[in-house]
Amino acid sequence: MSLISDAIVLGVIEAAPLILAAAGFTLIFYLNGFINVAYAENITLGAYFAIFFNSMLGLNFYLAIIPAAFLSGLLSVITYLLVFRPAFKRGVGMAEMIILSVGLSFFIRYSTRLIFGSKLYAFDVISPTGFKIFGIGVTNLQLTALLLMSAITTGLYLFIYKTNYGEMMRSLANNEDLAMVSGINPIKVSVLIWFIAGVVGGLAGVFYGVFSFVNTLMGWRLILIIIMISIVGGIGNVRGALVTSLGAGILTAAVTLVTNPIYGHILLLIGFIFILKFRKERR
Amino acid sequence: MIDSILTGYGLYTFSSIIVYIALATLLHLQYGRTGILNFGVVGFFGLGMYSFGVLLIQYKFPFLLAMFLSVVLVGIVAYGLGKLILDLDSQSVLVATLAFASIVADLTITEKWLTKGVRGLGSVPFAFDFGIYSQFGFFILASSLTIILLLYAFKLENSPYGRLLSSIQDNEILAQSLGKSTSQHKLIFFTLTCALMGFFGALHATNIHFLVPRMLDPGVTFTVWIALILGGRRRVLGGLIGILATIGIFDFIIETYVPIPASFQSELLPVLKLLLYGLTLILVIMYRPSGILGNKKLIHQ
Repeated sequence: MSLISDAIVLGVIEAAPLILAAAGFTLIFYLNGFINVAYAENITLGAYFAIFFNSMLGLNFYLAIIPAAFLSGLLSVITYLLVFRPAFKRGVGMAEMIILSVGLSFFIRYSTRLIFGSKLYAFDVISPTGFKIFGIGVTNLQLTALLLMSAITTGLYLFIYKTNYGEMMRSLANNEDLAMVSGINPIKVSVLIWFIAGVVGGLAGVFYGVFSFVNTLMGWRLILIIIMISIVGGIGNVRGALVTSLGAGILTAAVTLVTNPIYGHILLLIGFIFILKFRKERR
Repeated sequence: MIDSILTGYGLYTFSSIIVYIALATLLHLQYGRTGILNFGVVGFFGLGMYSFGVLLIQYKFPFLLAMFLSVVLVGIVAYGLGKLILDLDSQSVLVATLAFASIVADLTITEKWLTKGVRGLGSVPFAFDFGIYSQFGFFILASSLTIILLLYAFKLENSPYGRLLSSIQDNEILAQSLGKSTSQHKLIFFTLTCALMGFFGALHATNIHFLVPRMLDPGVTFTVWIALILGGRRRVLGGLIGILATIGIFDFIIETYVPIPASFQSELLPVLKLLLYGLTLILVIMYRPSGILGNKKLIHQ
């Protein structure tokens, strides 16, 4: 019994940044129809931006999140306008788009590495105080981060399902010509979606980094699981991404409690491969 | 002079490059010819490498039997995986193969009783013993096998079977309507080419002698992909040209022959190399999507 409750609490904490990252990733996947591997670097750079404002300039951690999120969004828009949109215009195929994003990912990652080096960075936060929930030790930092992430996820959820922009995004993804005829400006909507995806991706990086450390490979290590979650959860489906991330987080936490965490990773990947095979088409 | 070339470090690096050329050519057969997005190259390569090493060293199997069994094992695994995923959409194939490679790399770390984990498994001998010329012998062996593979790929290009594979890539539904069982052909071709990746993995094990899980990094897959795209994915020599233009220049010419300070070599050079790979890939896809060699002119138009 205690294993289950432990796994749930730890899993939710572990899944929270994953929900943000997967939600952002799935939006781009839905809107433009390709796996954007360079999203990994969006996560990484979000953390580095926050490190810059927090550890280097000495800004309070929670204040540093704001400019970091904005810059991550900006980075995402820049990659869209400078690389992906021109590639679409040139008629680059779907498989080549993925390879292009791999190239961009390498380029950004190793440029970051050139600037920041291979050093591990840590955030400057007031040392957290721990207390117990259902008999499991958590810290106030974890709880604040969790609250913040829930608020952001709720905002994103409302934006996608309750505003005009969400509807515009869906119509643009389904049929760009038809969307344009009905008065939707495709560049404006695309830029907005890429910005939002970049912001949540960057925030995911910040919240990952604050519980461990930041290095240039952090986004790259997560991207496979993020891709899997967004495909299994249904492309463009923020709800699906949320549920799948939670499931993945709880499963990983449960395995970590009993044995080597790598087995959790293996189990998750095998599970995802079988779900890919046996689920019914959702779109 | 000749002796130093035949026994030196440069020849070891060049032998590895030959193995990479074989991998890139196999990827050309899978992606350039048949359109299978295999992002798990290092999974098949690494599985062949490790299963050969484990059979040879941990279980003391005879050399050739160990090599044969490891190739069969990779073939069976590739068949199983192919059966599961090859008929899905190409993005699912991509992530599933990527996940497969990640699982193989994870297992080499966790299953210490088999692989000795991160401490490494060694030492795998060459297939023969020519004294100080063993490295040269390996170079000749690997080159000959890679040339045979290239010749096969050339032959396939103009054979009915090759045209069938191309038709699967260009329009699978049309090929089906002409009465070809495309799934079956794709599965068998995928199994064979993956088994060959495993074979070159086992061969590579005899060149590097000492196996560590770090060699199963997804970087291997991406290097081969970058090379093939750069060289020209639909051309038989695309993989060869691409490998020579990427790791040929960096790992062979620059690291072996250009005098650069050691600190620069270990810290900055690998970073610059991967940064440039990324930039090259972006430029190639944007401005020359068919690679250095370009597309062959179509005769029937």
